[in-house]
Amino acid sequence: MNKRRKERLTTCAWSAPSMILISLMVVFPILYTFYISLTNMNVYHWFDFSVIGLKNYGRALFTFDSGFLSALLATVLWTVVNMVLQLVIAFVLASLLNIRKLRLRRLYKTLLMFPWAMPGYVSILLWKTGIFNSQFGLLNQWMEKLGQQTVHWLSSDLSAFLCCTVVNLWLALPFMIMIMDGAMQSIDRSYYESALLDGANWFQRTRAITLPAISPIIGPAVIITVFTTFKQFDVVYLLTQQAGAKTGSGFHKVLTYAYENAFITNNYGYSSAISILIFLLLLIFSARYQMKEEAGR
Amino acid sequence: MSKKCKERIGLTFLNVFFLALCFATLIPILYALSVSFSGQNSLLSSDFSFIPKDFTFENYKRVIFGEDILVWFKNTVLLAAVTVTLSLAVAVPAAYCFSRRRFRGRKTILKCLVLLNSFPALLSMFAIYRLLRPVGLVNTGVGLILVYTGTMAVFSLWNTKGYFDTIPMEIEEAARMDGASDLQVVLRIVLPLAKPSIITTALQVLIYVWNEYIYATTFMTGEEKYTLAAGLNSLQATEMTGSWPVFAAASITVSVPVLIIFFLCQKYMTSGLTAGGVKG
Amino acid sequence: MRRICSLLLCLAMLLSLAACGQPAADPAEAKRLVIWHDKEDGVIQAMEQHLQAAVPELEVVFEKKTSLTDSLKLVGNDPSAAPDLFIFAHDKVGVFAEMGILAPIEELLAEGALEPYLDMTLEAASYGQTLYQLPLYFETLLFMYNRRYMQDEEVPKTTDELLSYMENNTGRGRYGFVEQHSTAYYSAAWIHGFGGSIIDETATPFPDPLAVQAALEYHLNFVALMPGETEYSTVNTLFLEGKADATIGGPWMVPSARGAEIDLGIAPMPVVDATGLALAPYSGVQGIHVLKHAAETKAAAVQQLLAALTDPAVGIELALASGCAPANSLCYEDARVAEDPLVQAMRSTAEIAVPMPNIPEMDVMWTVVSNLLTDVNLSGKPVEESLQAARKEAEQLIEAMK
Repeated sequence: MNKRRKERLTTCAWSAPSMILISLMVVFPILYTFYISLTNMNVYHWFDFSVIGLKNYGRALFTFDSGFLSALLATVLWTVVNMVLQLVIAFVLASLLNIRKLRLRRLYKTLLMFPWAMPGYVSILLWKTGIFNSQFGLLNQWMEKLGQQTVHWLSSDLSAFLCCTVVNLWLALPFMIMIMDGAMQSIDRSYYESALLDGANWFQRTRAITLPAISPIIGPAVIITVFTTFKQFDVVYLLTQQAGAKTGSGFHKVLTYAYENAFITNNYGYSSAISILIFLLLLIFSARYQMKEEAGR
Repeated sequence: MSKKCKERIGLTFLNVFFLALCFATLIPILYALSVSFSGQNSLLSSDFSFIPKDFTFENYKRVIFGEDILVWFKNTVLLAAVTVTLSLAVAVPAAYCFSRRRFRGRKTILKCLVLLNSFPALLSMFAIYRLLRPVGLVNTGVGLILVYTGTMAVFSLWNTKGYFDTIPMEIEEAARMDGASDLQVVLRIVLPLAKPSIITTALQVLIYVWNEYIYATTFMTGEEKYTLAAGLNSLQATEMTGSWPVFAAASITVSVPVLIIFFLCQKYMTSGLTAGGVKG
Repeated sequence: MRRICSLLLCLAMLLSLAACGQPAADPAEAKRLVIWHDKEDGVIQAMEQHLQAAVPELEVVFEKKTSLTDSLKLVGNDPSAAPDLFIFAHDKVGVFAEMGILAPIEELLAEGALEPYLDMTLEAASYGQTLYQLPLYFETLLFMYNRRYMQDEEVPKTTDELLSYMENNTGRGRYGFVEQHSTAYYSAAWIHGFGGSIIDETATPFPDPLAVQAALEYHLNFVALMPGETEYSTVNTLFLEGKADATIGGPWMVPSARGAEIDLGIAPMPVVDATGLALAPYSGVQGIHVLKHAAETKAAAVQQLLAALTDPAVGIELALASGCAPANSLCYEDARVAEDPLVQAMRSTAEIAVPMPNIPEMDVMWTVVSNLLTDVNLSGKPVEESLQAARKEAEQLIEAMK
């Protein structure tokens, strides 16, 4: 009995610092945003704001028009496409990097990590002006050399979506490769040796050994990446929607859409209501997904 | 003989493939590199080549001697070191509990955390400001460290916990038989086995701190308190006056330390598990 | 979950306890003024030098703040985190005045100190009849050309002339004229040239929609002869590489043009044939704002500082250091300033230029107009429909501000 109590105490003490930090920096902002969403805090009532109830939510629902719906769809599509590509490419590359006789492995790994080490907004800027720019971008310079028509890469919806995906993959893959690589390093070599003796081919080995061994390890990182991909703002905003440098594509994500339709109004009450509603949508999505997953087990 | 030959061809192919891949990946960075060595002040050019025109070190000189980059570097290193240490110090014990102990609400809390973490960060800043202001932590390094550690806490917890789950209990039990305490078990057995995950977590936190500039510019005032990313951002902030080659040189300079750390870490990426944990 | 809640509560209590123990204000602090800015080093150095000589008893600290407006929205009027003064363009005066963090300037100045100031700058810096900014210098867009390709006598006087020049000189990777055609700041010149405007004082978006429509439709002829993507760096590079003969750009382009050894000509804005009005760009007045808390607690020091800044010598130094056009008309009596072609050009453009609206509602118009231009210029949507949609969007956004 005493021992159980002691154990419970250590559990509390050991998790407390983490929980406190999370409550302060993650939970508190949500609660505070919710509180602000109930007030009329805006330019005209910056300090003397008062609680006005659910009024902001009523107005926020008007923002959820067809434009919002298509942005929502685009966001879901974006998340799925990006996650699938990320996982597949990272898995293939990590497996290749783990081929034993590959001597230069460390060099390749380090080079491949470079995109991760550059500050994100610098990379996005480089892609936008250096690669995709329709006048001077590398892509169009190469197109010209090949005698092809130059293309406005970022100006139509589909090609903007693809360009953003490429940039996002470029930014996100290094981490994914690293996680997968780390997970693969932890697999006991002897499993493979006996599988090889049994004459299993690469696909069989992957299915029977690699996947089951790495999935619990990479699982958490993957789940967190799903959410960051969903809420990814910078890539789409900086590439195509930045004020003063719009490229003409209509590809919007929920957040860039909310940004243009609420956040720029300087009305914190209203913007907070929209943030909370988007957050609720996300909760509903993931709750449904989880229910399905549990039913599937 | 033929098997060896086949293997060699395969390896050559693989090396060519990776070299090509690395080159493709690095194109934007080579672009920046070329601009950074160029004497002309433009990011764009109609006849771009990877070999810079008017080759010069001037831009790097300006970055290293002209700006307060050494001060920023010192700030960033300090900030990053403390944040990484604190993140791990906070995450590892919690992750261990969530992985090993069974208590009510364990799963719910974990799930809730990841959901809560998905809250769009655009508005969190305001709330965090309201939180730090009364305690006088705005415009201090401690404040930033708290913000960064808190922001990365859910990730660190999840990532380490996931790896701990895969470490078999039996290894620990043997040690416990010998009378080792919880702390000893974690320090001597779990941590060495979880090296890859500890390193990925630490690197992710490090890179976040290294490259984060929004909090760093909004919460900190005065150039002498800037981090590298914030300073870099201010170099380029007024697009109208910014110098592209200097900016490119600064971006490269900022990334190099991270790459070196990354290169050094790779040696330790292999888990001790394969070296004979259970079997031993 | 309950455990987390109670922990949170404990912490909140601790935090509020700690907050009570803040140090009291230091009396020496009254002589120390912190100024936020996001200007280039040359401007600040010139001011710093002048202030050191003029008011040595004050400790003036210039702090560069990249995200200045966002930070100000966060720190507001909080003496422990906010600056005492800040330097910024006049277009945010309305927002900050409505927020209630700005002190009226006039009562902090000696009587008559504002008399020599150009009317345009004072108008720009006032919101609702109150002056909230002491203007330092202003900037407008200028018509610039490369003498190597466009001779002085070729410079178009009217927009039709510009169009025919473009038709004759565009093609094979060269452009007769380029500008950031899909950016609100640049397109405003065209809208004003047709007698329209983006927003009026009563916060009505596009008060004369027909004029805006005419401007956009006419402007499409020009857009067709420019590259599709025209953000800042593209336009800049085209002009600096000698691939575009002329452009409309800000004074900030001048140093790089000189660096690129371009024989730079500056001409008056062309006149729109249909209306007889010249293209009238927005002008921005850069000036110093005083935060309310500083005006209350450090009144003496603030007054001293402002008095030192009304000295024409500041404007002269700024004009010489970085080619700014001073807001104080006395500065133009200095021969060196009067003879600077750039400063002169800016001053004459300023006579037709329209100060950027400074009402808070303008904040959303930047996005609305930029969306409208994207639709019309880049996506090829019909002008009338897009304009109607933009008006509706603007009305909704302005409504959402309240």
